[in-house]
Amino acid sequence: MPRIERNATVTWEGNVARGAGQITAGTGSFGGIPYSLPSRIGAGDEAKTSPEELLAAAHAGCYAMGLASELTKRGAPPQLLEVRCRVTMDEVEGKGHQIVHSTIDASARADGIDAAAFAEAAEVADEECPFSALIKASAGVTVNAKLEGGT
Amino acid sequence: MAAVRRAEVTWKGSLMEGSGSVDAVGSGAFGPLDVTWAARSEESSGGKTSPEELIAAAHAACFSMALSHALAQAGNPAEELKTSAEVTFVPGTGITEIDLKVRGRVPGLDEDGFREAAETAKANCPVSKALAGVPEITLDASLG
Repeated sequence: MPRIERNATVTWEGNVARGAGQITAGTGSFGGIPYSLPSRIGAGDEAKTSPEELLAAAHAGCYAMGLASELTKRGAPPQLLEVRCRVTMDEVEGKGHQIVHSTIDASARADGIDAAAFAEAAEVADEECPFSALIKASAGVTVNAKLEGGT
Repeated sequence: MAAVRRAEVTWKGSLMEGSGSVDAVGSGAFGPLDVTWAARSEESSGGKTSPEELIAAAHAACFSMALSHALAQAGNPAEELKTSAEVTFVPGTGITEIDLKVRGRVPGLDEDGFREAAETAKANCPVSKALAGVPEITLDASLG
């Protein structure tokens, strides 16, 4: 199996409270995305990202690919998957800030699959997502998946 | 107070032939970003991102903040930190390794002090803790 390496670079200037950072992807897919302490633990609405938002994007992307694979294996490649992810970070007593939960809400449009087979595909997709498997050691993962269409 | 962060992805078609997009994130800071299985699982990305690249970005960003905080608390605030994270993904196996590399400009601090602060940041940043199950996480830290 190939070893695939992906990297990203961050520049941070100043202290945590008033400083700011910029995040750039090794592939060039995105670059110079700003983040800061307020964008991480504040309301998060100022066009700046945070590590947890990047993890939400990673988890949604990972789950979408897993579900596409599992549906295809069951003869029902999806016409459309819509996957939303919410990552929650909280202060845990004695442990500081921790990522405590990730919630996936997925909606699929696919033909030729029944509700039971879909539910199984949705569960296997979660088990096989590498990110989901990793964070389950210290955080809760919830998957809500629903099928539109089907048989 | 809990901080909740959101992202939305759409995907069309099978894993091998289909394609997807990280359409939007709650902050609006980035997106849409194209994703495909080929770009994720082959050496050449074709300029597309992947879950593993987003994890690399999250880890580098989290580590940098934690290190900045630790240095400032010890009385040696950093002027600048440059961090990269490289995530190794083996399809069928998972994420096998993350390599963090940081170079810092920190007035009044020696190499040993910097390395020690970096080790602490690596151990304690929330993304490190969430990814503690990765078989190998390495750190290369020095001033300069």
